[in-house]
Amino acid sequence: MSDILITKSSPPQSALLTVWGALLALGRGFGRQLWMATRTPAGRIGLPLVALHAIIAVFGPLLAPYLPTEFHLRDQLSSPSWQYWLGTDEYGRDIFSRLLSGARSIITVAALGASLGIALGTFVGMSSGYKGGRTDEVVMRIMDGLMSFPALLLALLVLTTLGSNPQNIVLTIGVVFTPRVARVMRSATLSVKTLEFVQNARLRGEPAAYIIFKEILPNTIPVLTVEASVRLSFAILLASSLGFLGLGVQPPSSDWGLMISESRRFMTTAPWIALAPAAAVATLVIGVNLLAEGIRQAQHLPLIEEDISS
Amino acid sequence: MTTTQTNNAPLMEVENLSVTFFTPAGAVRAVRDVSLQVQRNEVLGIVGESGCGKSTVGYAMMGYLPGTTRLGGSIRFEGQDITNISATELRKLRGNTIGMVYQDPTTSLNPVMRVGPQVEEVLRQHTRLSREQARNRTAELFESVGLAGPRRIGRRYPHELSGGQQQRGLIAMALACDPHLLIMDEPTTGLDVTTEATILDLILDLKDRVNAGIILITHNLGVVARGADRVAVMYAGHVVEQGPVRTIFKNPRHPYTAGLISCVPQPVTHEGEDHVLRNIPGSVYSAQEETKDACLFASRCPMATAQCTASAPPVVDAGDGHLSKCFYWEQVNSDVWSAAETTQSQAKDPNAAPILTVKGLHHFYGTPRRRFVFFGPIVGRPVRAVVNVDLAVKPGQTLGVVGESGSGKTTLARNVVGLIHRTSGDIKLQGEDLGPGVEDRAKGQRSAIRMVFQNPTSSLNPKLPVSHALMRPLKKFQGLKGPEARERAAALLQAVGLEPGHLDRLPGELSGGQQQRVALAATFAGKADLIVADEAVSALDVSVQAQVLNLLKQHQQEAGTSYIFISHDLGVVRYVSDDILVMYAGHVAESGPRNSVLRPPSHPYTEALLSAAPAPDPDAVPTRIRLPGTVPTLRQAFTGCFFAGRCPRKVGDICDTTPPPAQQGPDAPSHVIYCHIPAEQLKELQLQRSNGKQDEVSISA
Amino acid sequence: MVRFLVRRISLIVVTLLVVSLAIFLVTEVLPGDVASMILGQGATPSNLAAVREQLGLDRPAPARYLSWIANAAQGDLGDSYVQRRPIVDIVKGRLGNSLILAGFAFLMAVPTAILLGVWAGIKRDSLGDQVISIGSLVAISLPEFVTGVLLMVVFASTLHWLPSSSVLLPGTTPLDRPQILILPALTLTGVLLAYVMRMTRANVIEVMQSHYVRTAILKGLPMRRVIFRHVLPNALLPTISIVAMNVGWMLGGLIIVENVFSYPGIGRLLLTSIQGRDVPLLQAVALLIAATYAVSNLLADLSYSILNPRIRLS
Repeated sequence: MSDILITKSSPPQSALLTVWGALLALGRGFGRQLWMATRTPAGRIGLPLVALHAIIAVFGPLLAPYLPTEFHLRDQLSSPSWQYWLGTDEYGRDIFSRLLSGARSIITVAALGASLGIALGTFVGMSSGYKGGRTDEVVMRIMDGLMSFPALLLALLVLTTLGSNPQNIVLTIGVVFTPRVARVMRSATLSVKTLEFVQNARLRGEPAAYIIFKEILPNTIPVLTVEASVRLSFAILLASSLGFLGLGVQPPSSDWGLMISESRRFMTTAPWIALAPAAAVATLVIGVNLLAEGIRQAQHLPLIEEDISS
Repeated sequence: MTTTQTNNAPLMEVENLSVTFFTPAGAVRAVRDVSLQVQRNEVLGIVGESGCGKSTVGYAMMGYLPGTTRLGGSIRFEGQDITNISATELRKLRGNTIGMVYQDPTTSLNPVMRVGPQVEEVLRQHTRLSREQARNRTAELFESVGLAGPRRIGRRYPHELSGGQQQRGLIAMALACDPHLLIMDEPTTGLDVTTEATILDLILDLKDRVNAGIILITHNLGVVARGADRVAVMYAGHVVEQGPVRTIFKNPRHPYTAGLISCVPQPVTHEGEDHVLRNIPGSVYSAQEETKDACLFASRCPMATAQCTASAPPVVDAGDGHLSKCFYWEQVNSDVWSAAETTQSQAKDPNAAPILTVKGLHHFYGTPRRRFVFFGPIVGRPVRAVVNVDLAVKPGQTLGVVGESGSGKTTLARNVVGLIHRTSGDIKLQGEDLGPGVEDRAKGQRSAIRMVFQNPTSSLNPKLPVSHALMRPLKKFQGLKGPEARERAAALLQAVGLEPGHLDRLPGELSGGQQQRVALAATFAGKADLIVADEAVSALDVSVQAQVLNLLKQHQQEAGTSYIFISHDLGVVRYVSDDILVMYAGHVAESGPRNSVLRPPSHPYTEALLSAAPAPDPDAVPTRIRLPGTVPTLRQAFTGCFFAGRCPRKVGDICDTTPPPAQQGPDAPSHVIYCHIPAEQLKELQLQRSNGKQDEVSISA
Repeated sequence: MVRFLVRRISLIVVTLLVVSLAIFLVTEVLPGDVASMILGQGATPSNLAAVREQLGLDRPAPARYLSWIANAAQGDLGDSYVQRRPIVDIVKGRLGNSLILAGFAFLMAVPTAILLGVWAGIKRDSLGDQVISIGSLVAISLPEFVTGVLLMVVFASTLHWLPSSSVLLPGTTPLDRPQILILPALTLTGVLLAYVMRMTRANVIEVMQSHYVRTAILKGLPMRRVIFRHVLPNALLPTISIVAMNVGWMLGGLIIVENVFSYPGIGRLLLTSIQGRDVPLLQAVALLIAATYAVSNLLADLSYSILNPRIRLS
């Protein structure tokens, strides 16, 4: 793969510089996209929602009134009160504290997993699309093969074999998302690649890495930002679904999906155990999706089919 | 309002029309103040550059202005103000008493509906015809617009028809209910030159046949000159001048009109000295700008005075229904845009050793495919885009390559610069072999051949400042960096008439003409020996096109650069070229010195091209050589002549069975015509036609 | 057409080979041997060896893959390690149950989604459109286990209208007790409906701005005819492939929904096989789900090309 990106004429350090420059531009580009999204109604609601969750993820454990794993055996299944804001579960653990500590794990895992998928997918999609021809055909055939699994199924298979821990979940999300991101970034690359300024760069004798990162990548930032936010929301859905199925973060740490799963036994007696984490997942994903919608609207980007192939 | 001497009320009367669109990016003042009239049996041409609001006037007459719009003034059709009627009444006019033809026929037809039913639908809506009667009437309509086999055509889907056939279908649709007014919005734009000619013939034929007023909206002065009775010239949402077509062209009374006319290269058949194209400086007054109480053309006008920026000029009548919106209309003459200057034809050596030679170039797209993927008969054959092309470019001279879409001219250009890899053949630069891809070529070879593309907007990276486009080649080819490169880049910008301040702008902040000048400066940056310009002016408005053409010529005189100049527009090619190569269906039809190619004897295809381009002169006598059919598919090698299928001068079976030999022209040894007819005989035939009566060689099918 | 079919079918075969290889690699070649997965951590070396021999794990991996895939192609998926009977027998009824549930959800979701999407697209930016758009955004943001649990709280625990669990007695089918289908199907419907609706709306809006719709309007046709004859045929074509993509999503959703409601389908079976470390069963179920996905994509491609004249006749 490396010979695609680094041609003989460019020493490795210049390629590194190019990549570093591209990363800086990318950061600026993302910031700009977020700023522009706040001018749409969807973005104006979405960004604060996401920010709130992010703050909770960072500072949550400091705010928590109890330890998330602390048993209050006298207060099992108690309903919300001043003492336990959101009630307690069957072991008397404080739901509110468990919710706060769960935020950090799910947001970290989902964000890292999505980032991994975006990075790999962008690299594969853009190189393959730029290179074109047979290489592109073979790479995309493999990606299609990976995509003919429902995401959850592939994740379950991998986690069953590797064993479930946060690193493996991040890795799994990354692997599952790579082909999907690759497809989107490949088509974005293909539409920019034919433009004359790319031909111009080729005629100047620019190396492929320069063309991909300096000339093409900045023009795909709106698409990439939408894709990143869509992927983040899917990563949260996927990570919490895995938690629900018992393949997420292992007990006794708290996991929103697992909390909901365990709450089902007390559905009739203590519905709040289910409602609190359900609301937490829902607001987080709604926030991210609103943000994606806002970015899309600000850029007048169309909804694309890939968005749904979770 | 000055009224003409007509007694009967006009068919369509527009008064003080203004249209503003409100978009997320701000208000667009498409039409600011337009007043005009159309009578029955009259063709009114509305002409202007892009963004002048001409199409919006057309759509406003249909009552179709989607989005958030503010409309002022009135549009009266047969006495009824259509800015003010109910949706139901509007529906009764549309497609019925007012028909419309659109610019892009391919996207204007429903892709999943057969063509016939798309016309029948109009008839069924507005008349009481039965399904059967509507089908018969549709067939008649198709026949009347020159579609052979009308019933068969009716059963086709739009994608199965050629562009010309699609446009004929749309014209039939507009004519279906015998409209009183026919609005044609750029009906020939985007079609090939030879197809354009046949569609224009059809429009002129309709003029005599149907009892309707026709509004012909176009940017092409040649089309207006041939087709219109009266002309309205639009600029920045205003009609700046209107009047009978001859008066407008021969005796313009607005400096903008005079400027537009002198921006167009002389007709292809023009003999004798050429004059230098004059250009209108600056760029078009943007529709985003507010309307001011001033002449909006003042900033570009050579005659402008303080008065022009202080108040808006009134409409004055120069007599005989000739109206102008200029304070100094009496002083307008053909010399307001600098005195006529003939092009200095420096003595160029026709026998100089060529800088670039191409021998036996072939380029095929795709590989053969089989019916059942791995076995079975071959169903997909490669497209033979360029077949056996030879050419030579001499130092400091321009080779013009002309041809219609699908002729292989762009493929040729891309092979020369190395954007695509040739299938076979040799390309030599100053005697040294050039590798197939740009990546295979030495740095010196890369800097020696540069390219200018058609679309200025996409030839500059929208996310990077103008300085990037200029400094990058300086760094790559001359090793210039930092302040030194920046200084040089600023100088390059000044050389193309821009300012150093433009360096830090993003391309999106520049107009199309400015972008193309930046692109030119970037190609000049590498001190190239050869510049390949692929349709470099096709996307530009006429006034800007002249700027760019003159810049190219000027640079050639100063730097001695050679050009390969590719265009579908023979007039433009004629203006810049020393030698001309005519391509058809991937093959060279004819090549040689400019004047030898343009004068008889010519290849029959060149002859058709020469006769197809409408001259911007209402007195020009049109020659009617029209090509039947369409460009053949290029998936199969031709057994005989590549042009045999459409050739109006086909001599017999030999054309279908034997590839044509290279005939040498009588005037220059380098003049080559690929035809079975001997050059002398061709010359005789062609002189006969242009001197004698209009024997119509062939009429379009 | 023949060429198209041959191409698509050979593509599916290739895809299924890639998929089966992936399943095989993931389950057997990744660190973590099948025998130790089955036996867990407390396995003794002799137990491991016995299991390995029993499953034929002592043979080389390529040979094992080839015999697995060759048998699968003939309809023999091997024996379940835990239940000790042919996997085909276990899967058959479960697959039927899943198809019934998915089909039921599909029939509820797709027509509604298309209707709402078309309506919202035509009435773009109206109040109704905004409500629908926001609603659909919320719907795609809710994971199935959240929707499922919420529906359960409301309709089963609080109102007692519907059963909270969809367990079936052996030997019965869901059609004998259709009420158990309602909550799972509703849960599946939510997201599916929202996706298809959003894409349909986007397509309608795009087509409404096309030149040929402008032509249709300027023919003087009534809006009803413009929409039914010109907008819908063009806007609904891409909806077909969107629906097919959603089948893939639904298969993932089934895994969750069946587990939320303890519905005896293929998704529940998958989780059972994971929990019981029944590797042969897991492989078979995964292959089955992937195959279903591939076939539904083929069907979508086929119907798309049959309905689209631009592909059909070329």
